[in-house]
Amino acid sequence: MLTRLKTQVPLFSMNSYTKLREKLKLSGLSFASTHSHVIRLGRHSRHNSKMAVCIAVIAKENYPLFIRSVPIQNELKFHYTVHTSLDVVEEKISAVGKAMADQRELYLGLLYPTEDYKVYGYVTNSKVKFVIVVDSSNTSLRDNEIRSMFRKLHNSFTDVMCNPFYNPGDTIQSKAFDSIVSAMMVQAS
Amino acid sequence: MSIPDYMQCAEDHQTVLVVVQPVGIVPEDEFFRIYKRITSVAQVSIRDSQRNLYIRYRHHYLPENNEWGDFQTHRKVVGLISVTTCRSAKEWPQTSDRFHCQKDVFGATLYDSRLLVFGLQGEIAEQQRTDVAFYPSYDVCPDVEKRVEDFVESIFIVLETKRLDRATDKSGDKIPLLCVPFEKKDFVGLDTDSRHYKKRCQGRMRKHVGDLCLQAGMLQDALVHYHMAVELLRSVNDFLWLGAALEGLCSASVIFHYPGGTAGKASGREPSLAHGQGQAADAGKRHRPGALTANGISADTSSEIGRAKNCLGPEDIIEKYKEAISYYGKYKNAGVIELEACVKAVRVLAIQKRAMEASEFLQNAVYINLGQLSEEEKIQRYSILSELYHLIGFHRKSAFFKRVAAMQCVAPTIPEPGWRACYKLLLETLSGYSLCLDPKDFSKGSHRGWAAVQVRLLHELVYASRRMGNPGLSVRHLSFLLQTMLDLLSDKVCQIRTTEGHVCLGALTLDQKKKEVTQSLENYTSKCPGGMEVLTLPDGLKLPPVPLSKLPIVRSVKLLDLPVSLRPHKQKGLLENNMSSKSPFIYSPIIMHTRGEERTKKIEFRWVQGDVCEVQLMVYNPMPFELRVEHMGLLTSGVEFEALPAALSLPAESGLYPVTLVGVPRTAGNINVNGYHTSVFGVTSDCLLDGLPSVRTSGCVVEVIPSLPRLQLSTSLPRSAHPLRPSKEELSSSVSVQLFNGETQQLIITLENIGSEDLETLEVTSKACNTKEKLFGEFLSWDLEEAVSQLPLKPGQSVTLTVNVKVRLDFSGGENLLQDLNDDGISVTGLPISSPLRQVLKPRAETKPLGSESSKTDYNHVKTLEAVMTFKYSGGAGKVEGYYRDLSLGVHVDVEPSVFFTKVSTLPATRTRQCHLLLDVFNSTEHELMVSANNNQDLVLHPSECQRMAIQVAKFDFHTLPQPDQEAVRYTNPKLLEEERLHTQASMISSTLGITWNIPSVRRQGEASVEGVLNQLVLEHLQLAPLQWDVVVNGKPCDCDIIADCKVGDAVPLEVKLTNRSMNAVGPFALTVVPFQDYQNGVQNYDLQDAVTFIGSNTFYIDMVKPTENSVCMGALLFLYTGDFYLNIKFQDDSAGQGKELPPSWFGLPSVHIKALEAPIEAGA
Repeated sequence: MLTRLKTQVPLFSMNSYTKLREKLKLSGLSFASTHSHVIRLGRHSRHNSKMAVCIAVIAKENYPLFIRSVPIQNELKFHYTVHTSLDVVEEKISAVGKAMADQRELYLGLLYPTEDYKVYGYVTNSKVKFVIVVDSSNTSLRDNEIRSMFRKLHNSFTDVMCNPFYNPGDTIQSKAFDSIVSAMMVQAS
Repeated sequence: MSIPDYMQCAEDHQTVLVVVQPVGIVPEDEFFRIYKRITSVAQVSIRDSQRNLYIRYRHHYLPENNEWGDFQTHRKVVGLISVTTCRSAKEWPQTSDRFHCQKDVFGATLYDSRLLVFGLQGEIAEQQRTDVAFYPSYDVCPDVEKRVEDFVESIFIVLETKRLDRATDKSGDKIPLLCVPFEKKDFVGLDTDSRHYKKRCQGRMRKHVGDLCLQAGMLQDALVHYHMAVELLRSVNDFLWLGAALEGLCSASVIFHYPGGTAGKASGREPSLAHGQGQAADAGKRHRPGALTANGISADTSSEIGRAKNCLGPEDIIEKYKEAISYYGKYKNAGVIELEACVKAVRVLAIQKRAMEASEFLQNAVYINLGQLSEEEKIQRYSILSELYHLIGFHRKSAFFKRVAAMQCVAPTIPEPGWRACYKLLLETLSGYSLCLDPKDFSKGSHRGWAAVQVRLLHELVYASRRMGNPGLSVRHLSFLLQTMLDLLSDKVCQIRTTEGHVCLGALTLDQKKKEVTQSLENYTSKCPGGMEVLTLPDGLKLPPVPLSKLPIVRSVKLLDLPVSLRPHKQKGLLENNMSSKSPFIYSPIIMHTRGEERTKKIEFRWVQGDVCEVQLMVYNPMPFELRVEHMGLLTSGVEFEALPAALSLPAESGLYPVTLVGVPRTAGNINVNGYHTSVFGVTSDCLLDGLPSVRTSGCVVEVIPSLPRLQLSTSLPRSAHPLRPSKEELSSSVSVQLFNGETQQLIITLENIGSEDLETLEVTSKACNTKEKLFGEFLSWDLEEAVSQLPLKPGQSVTLTVNVKVRLDFSGGENLLQDLNDDGISVTGLPISSPLRQVLKPRAETKPLGSESSKTDYNHVKTLEAVMTFKYSGGAGKVEGYYRDLSLGVHVDVEPSVFFTKVSTLPATRTRQCHLLLDVFNSTEHELMVSANNNQDLVLHPSECQRMAIQVAKFDFHTLPQPDQEAVRYTNPKLLEEERLHTQASMISSTLGITWNIPSVRRQGEASVEGVLNQLVLEHLQLAPLQWDVVVNGKPCDCDIIADCKVGDAVPLEVKLTNRSMNAVGPFALTVVPFQDYQNGVQNYDLQDAVTFIGSNTFYIDMVKPTENSVCMGALLFLYTGDFYLNIKFQDDSAGQGKELPPSWFGLPSVHIKALEAPIEAGA
């Protein structure tokens, strides 16, 4: 396997490599930098040390089971953000072929960047969606960290589901789950 | 260039732009009629070539945009069609001038122009011009299309010339530098001879030629030119034009790959937002010969191959678009170009079904800053974004932007907010938020959707509809909000306030607390009461009514039976027809019916036309404040029903609360209670049970029968304080009275017809219930004749009925106590009553062993008698149908003991046909009591005193009692028969005795019956023997106390007559007459052979005597001395062979007392 990989590397044409690079450059250059017309003041001082600004759990039928955002923010705004992100989630799920659905990776990665936030998604095999919104200025957050946050969230959610007193489909009111979420939203040490 | 054309798509690059404009005064509708006809010529195939020319028409185009025509030739206005009205030749010069003025606006770029003149009367002196056409009116212009086609062809000729001109322009001539408006000043003083500059000029020109080729229908050439341009421009870093060349390449490739077009059939553009009408509609119809010819095969296969080589693949198209956009992005002034490129790319991606990438392009488009946009432009932009998101299947995102657009319509900066447009746009977002304004859909299953945003949207709808002056709509939306989102209007969501700083409704300060929602609802309804009608919006959307079935929440609906006294019953016999059951089994544990059936299940009971019927609802108020529900009534079908609405006030968050709704059915038939009607906060709602799955009901269909009269019952006795002991049937009323045993009380019952129908029939029955006591005589007796004679009873009239309540319980005192004493039978000589009984009687309550149940049957115990009188009545239409009503009156009598016969015995009287009945009478009352029998004197008894009473009675001949008829005998069991026989005997005895008691102190009196006291032995003693013996001495019938006189020496004839009254033949018997003398000192002298002699035999033989026959024996006696003689008639049964001994009491023969007197002298000699 290893040897094969090695032999394959040179097979990449120079052309496709540059294309790839351009692609990366493009998304960075064009989509985010040049046309930011809204001036944002004091954002960095406000919560660049936060890990997540909003965490949501969405049922299979696309209604929220749990949504929590940083209190200083306008909560409804996050409702809209998370709600619209479902479009992307659905698109991403449907993009994976039916046959591959079982082996699909649960983590969906960045759903979409907005002016202020980055929205990440995660879908369990039972089509329950987790969405984490982080401040786009928070560049220190790595993909791995987001993944581990989702894993933690998933584990805690599984615990909630295992509670015999929990009615599937109800909003989550578990304190344990709440504390896990809170931990993700507080300042990273 | 500041205003983007959001409708652009890639294939627009191959079109030529023609502006159609009115000149002078042209009615708008006429203009657009002509405009529509012109735009129908969107594609013209050119003669002598296989090429097609596509035309894009605009009725409005900014000259500013025209300046970008060199950059992308499809932006250049190459044709002008003017439409004008000219009534007379006089006006013509002026019109012509105007036309030329207009031509000058786009003059630099125009290839050709036309003027269409309408309404001209008469002739124009001027010579015929090719660019002007005259029509008498807007209606008569048959060849407009033809003229437009000609016009297009002429444009094509110019275009083709230009193309060839530029394409073959290889000379060393200086190539002019094409540039966009904002570049012009940059090139001032640039070295025009540098290689760099030349290359730039070449590249730009190449690109321009490519554009022309594309427009002229030469896709292949265009691709080649674009490729060359890309190479050239890339080398000189002319990014803007490189972008344009790349986009050109993309456009050409898109045209090749997607002949169907990318604009899609969607885009329901509004006239206010879209500048180019009809363009999109035509897009689909276009035929692209560049890709495939009409017959599907390209004429030139070689060009096909070449095309395929130069053409970009679907993946590459997107790559190149990205690249082009990134180049455009370098120039602030090219924002519109970039934005349009994004839109075009998104459309292509939508066709390719690559939503994710499309969303990236759109995301980018959102960020493109076009400087200060007017409000209308913002709305347009958001709308188009919404549309594009919709195109790629991002419905939520689409809804989001549509909502933003809606908010923009009423932004505070706009002087005249467009609430109508706002409302319209908001309605379009409903699907994106998976919201349907039909509460029926909503109630199906549990709520699914994003509640927070749905609530928000509904609030905005409410507010917008109010501001646009339609309170009816806002009431409807607010009702919907209350109905569907009630659970979600929790405190948590209440914290959510307005959204997105710049798009929030400035004035929208609706608080989302339940109270405030309801308050605003009340405010709105004060202007416009909410109803149940379907609201139809101008665009045809229907808003179904929203019944507020959760204010209050109804948990169960139960139809109530009429009160017992008003329940109708079906006459027996008729009833059985109805008793058809669905199942062959009498009982099955499996309940087969489903919920739905339950609803329609018919209920057992019936309602009556004209009578108030009740339905009980269990409701509760989920609101944290008091809820006032007005006009709550029933909704029914099947029968004309007059609902009597009720108003109720439910306390905050009340528990289940029973509410009874009433109504009067006005016709007969099957009534179906299918819902209820409420009015809450000014919103009237009709809540149908079908739509409320949470409501429990035990059936809603009930039969209404024709009207029946109604009776009200009142009595002379006080109403019963305590109801009768548990009994199956409920009673309409009951009376209670306290009586002494044996007492009789009159009960006067008044029946009043309070209904509206005549009372035609009345039947009265009574039934004793719940009594273990043995009752003698009739408890309740009445005479109905008089009451019935007054029928029919008109409404309002009344009738009275007198009922005798007679209590005659067992007067036997404590049989159990006397059991032992009675065991040996009742001795004829009687029983000393003194000591043992007294002992038992005295220690009443005190010494009784505790817990001994048997001691409860103390004779001082107050006994209870209960009976139910049933008045069955009917009349009116209900009677015809075979219905009647029952009115039942419970009669409760507490019977206090009066007297007891503690002991009964008989003593034979002196006469054989009589005997003495000895009764030990015990007074168990607390008063002094007098007892009297028929012909006896009164016996005074003090409280708890017992005395013996002797009554002489003639023996009874029970055979004279009526015999039960044979039929009855056959079918009843012998034991019962026997009991009945005993009972009749006893009652006969009792009535003969006529024992009464009287308590003077309380003025109460009554009878006492010995029925229960008599036992078999006593009865036998009281019974007249079936063999009746008559002894006649000297022609005189003799009995014990009668002394027959005779003379000594005379023969005394003796006659013994036997009458058989028994059922069987008796005999033969032998009778022996033995005379004796009683010395009254216990000595009886039988040795009288000397004193008495028989003439003939002293023994008689009686043969068999058949029933009812008699036999007479005659003999004679001769007394020899005077004296008192007795004759003892001895009796011998000779019928021993028959096996059956007759009881000795049958042979109760009188002893004969004969006094022999001195005979006269002459006889003695």
